[in-house]
Amino acid sequence: MRQDSASRLSCLCCTQMLDRRDACPAPGSQRPDQFQVKTTLLQVQDLKVHFPVRRTLFGRAKEFVRAVDGVSFALQTGETLGLVGESGCGKTTLGRAIIRLIELTEGTVSLEGEDISRMSDARLRPQRRKFQMIFQDPYGSLDPRMTVEQIIGEPIDIHQLAKNSADRRKRVCQLLNDVGLDSAHAQRYPHEFSGGQRQRIGIARALAVEPKLIVCDEPVSALDVSVQAQIINLLKDLQRSHALAYLFIAHDLAVIEHISDRIMVMYLGRVVETGDAKTVCRSPKHPYTQALISAVPVVDPATKRARLLLPGEPPSPLNPPAGCPFHPRCPLVEPRCRTETPPLRELASGHQVACHVAQP
Amino acid sequence: MPLLEINNLTLEFGTPANPLRAVDGLSLSIADGETVCLVGESGCGKSVTALSIARLLPTPPARYLGGQILAEGRDVLQMTKTELRAIRGGIVSYIFQEPSASLNPVFRIGAQIKESLKLHRPDAATDAEVIRLLKLVGIPAPESRLHDYPHQLSGGTQQRVMIAMAVASEPKLLVADEPTTALDVTIQAQILDLLRDLQQRLGMSILLITHNLGIVGELANRVAVMYAGQIVEVAKADALLRRPLHPYTQALMKSVPKLGSNAERLLAIPGQVPSPSAFPSGCRFHPRCSQAQKDCSLKSPDLIEVDPGRWVRCPYWNETTIVPQ
Repeated sequence: MRQDSASRLSCLCCTQMLDRRDACPAPGSQRPDQFQVKTTLLQVQDLKVHFPVRRTLFGRAKEFVRAVDGVSFALQTGETLGLVGESGCGKTTLGRAIIRLIELTEGTVSLEGEDISRMSDARLRPQRRKFQMIFQDPYGSLDPRMTVEQIIGEPIDIHQLAKNSADRRKRVCQLLNDVGLDSAHAQRYPHEFSGGQRQRIGIARALAVEPKLIVCDEPVSALDVSVQAQIINLLKDLQRSHALAYLFIAHDLAVIEHISDRIMVMYLGRVVETGDAKTVCRSPKHPYTQALISAVPVVDPATKRARLLLPGEPPSPLNPPAGCPFHPRCPLVEPRCRTETPPLRELASGHQVACHVAQP
Repeated sequence: MPLLEINNLTLEFGTPANPLRAVDGLSLSIADGETVCLVGESGCGKSVTALSIARLLPTPPARYLGGQILAEGRDVLQMTKTELRAIRGGIVSYIFQEPSASLNPVFRIGAQIKESLKLHRPDAATDAEVIRLLKLVGIPAPESRLHDYPHQLSGGTQQRVMIAMAVASEPKLLVADEPTTALDVTIQAQILDLLRDLQQRLGMSILLITHNLGIVGELANRVAVMYAGQIVEVAKADALLRRPLHPYTQALMKSVPKLGSNAERLLAIPGQVPSPSAFPSGCRFHPRCSQAQKDCSLKSPDLIEVDPGRWVRCPYWNETTIVPQ
């Protein structure tokens, strides 16, 4: 009984807090993150993930899929880095390897200056508060036998963030309000919610431990078109209010351009182009990025783009082509592309391209 | 006479006590050689409409409550099983979203395409014809692919095999239900290109089901937009994309992020797609409509013809229309 009234009271507090946040200056006019000094949150150096696929008689790996093959980048606090590429390019593996859901083969990942890539599980566990993940499938990523309060409360329990059960309940209520759900729904089960609402629950679970980095793995691609925009707007609002950095993985370039500050385009486990979101989308330099952009169907008949239809399909990462991995499909291929792997080189400040031919 | 004419189709699932009206009074026609897009979100009834054309929905659970589906003037809903077999493949062929789920994993693709030929064009059921079809859908070195199993092919190639099977029977109408949703964007562009090319070469009509308005711009002659079991707008594709009249179509177009736009926020449609068990009263879009008037919740609007061939289910279309940026 007492707990019930306490929860109601706390919900009241939450809504008041929410109101106050709403009274904050309008987006764009005075963003709270302007006052923060941008520091490097995440530094990834030459990350490789190779999966053994075939083994010898004695169990030693004979062949490897080079899912991620030497990726380096840095992510600032409060920044969104969009990671785009076709299926099999290694974008999900990269996202998972960074937060150690998959063991990495080589390279380092430092979070706030601390190398987490070789940390033991016991030492890593408290660090996990700093980074969380939002998954693609809102149906598969929530346990159907847990209530919403249990789902969101679980990370709070693991990291012992709540002083007592009333505090825990208060936090859950506030999180539900933060993601635009009614805190009265805390006792419901996932099947009682629509896809968009479930994705909100997944977001609330990620926010529960007050992370600094969220890896969003295709968070909107399983949702209806009219609901996608709600979730994208929510993620942008939460970034501002919670000073979050996102590693945003998606295959939809328009979504990536909309939400990201910077973009990284991957092909066959490597970064082929990276730079400011608007620059990469408006004047792409790598022929693969150009083809990706021209392949996006255009709604408006007035802005028809020139079609650059790529022949063939991405090759298997088990047996990547020699030289530039893109050369068998590339319209600009030159003899050296077949033998020399192009390194990432800087064309303009912050705009890097892995291509022998690309010109600034 | 149009190739296909759907008149007032009404379709229910669920029990009679608790009916789920998936399609409610839908009318649509497709002319020879025309590409029509049926656009809508999940649960709006677009796929069940498509499946009804060859009566592929098992009854029960589905119940046809009324209407006609005239394929070359004959009502599919009244046909016997034998007549239906002639229609399936003979007039209408299908391709679906997930090619790996549509192909039989234990048969070689050559044999699966030949099966379609044996049924509809027995004289042509030869390896040479299968190779010609595989070449037609743009599969390189078709001779070596004949004996492959579906799992040996990539998603894009599997979808090409599905298309080869569908066109093997020389149908007059190809129904493509989200044919590129499971594919990567560069492969999607290839498949759309192939569909456009095949339509011109074979002169068939295409009914394309999609939720992606971009695909409409790429392929369609005409568009029908569905919401909650009803058609809310029908128009020529370029007219609709240039100036959508129904508030739902407008909102749908604005809620999709566009490459190269500077918008800071997307204009999201509030709320969720209603479930067929609980469609709102009056106009089914009114709880989510930013331009709803007082009486929108009271009376269900009819489709009105505002220009020749241009229909919209909103009495306030003239007041609410905003030209999108």
